[in-house]
Amino acid sequence: MAIKLLTFGQITEIIGQSESAVNALDSDALKAQLIRQFPGLKDLHFAIAVNKKLISKNTDLKDGDTVALLPPFSGG
Amino acid sequence: MMEEKKAKKVFVKGPISPLFVGESIAKHSTKQDIGAHSIFLGQVRNDIIDGNAVVAIDYSAYNEMAEEKFHEIREDAFQKYSLTCMHIYHSLGRVEAGEISLFVFTSSIHRKDAMEACTYIVERIKEQAPVWGREVFDDGRHVWKQNNFNETQ
Repeated sequence: MAIKLLTFGQITEIIGQSESAVNALDSDALKAQLIRQFPGLKDLHFAIAVNKKLISKNTDLKDGDTVALLPPFSGG
Repeated sequence: MMEEKKAKKVFVKGPISPLFVGESIAKHSTKQDIGAHSIFLGQVRNDIIDGNAVVAIDYSAYNEMAEEKFHEIREDAFQKYSLTCMHIYHSLGRVEAGEISLFVFTSSIHRKDAMEACTYIVERIKEQAPVWGREVFDDGRHVWKQNNFNETQ
């Protein structure tokens, strides 16, 4: 199962790339896996969007989904 | 959401020039039912952070999601207020301190709708648009800016 992972802002600085392919069954599992791999994410506050929609609870992921990790917004 | 009309382009590369703002105002002289314009201009501020001055903000965005969000904000504003027209422009890339990075322009028959809609749109953008500002110091180091509103989970 391939999920497209997009990251932005300081999260990209921690992960080292803005786009990558990952495998995970749901958003909680993905988050836990990323924090294990990149401990710097642990103290960061970020929202998650699945296919461009913000999620507020654990969400099942399927092949081809795009998951984006969004640090606090600072536009304007 | 699938059949919505084509989203208008919001992002511009680099700063928004005062000339562009002036020309945008001029273009409305033909729409003579308009009685009021309201304009918000966001300017990059040279904040001092730990003794270092911010010389520029480098903006980046989740473009596809941001364009959808801008479209949603636009539709909501048209629903909520009686507007003749509305324009939103946001910078991407580097904008120096003192330059304009956000231009929101609302027009209506009477002033109240234009003024309230303008504030509404600016607040929604600050809170909900997936855009990030990297504040750059004169020595090249940077910090990530944070707005007062955050989508959290």
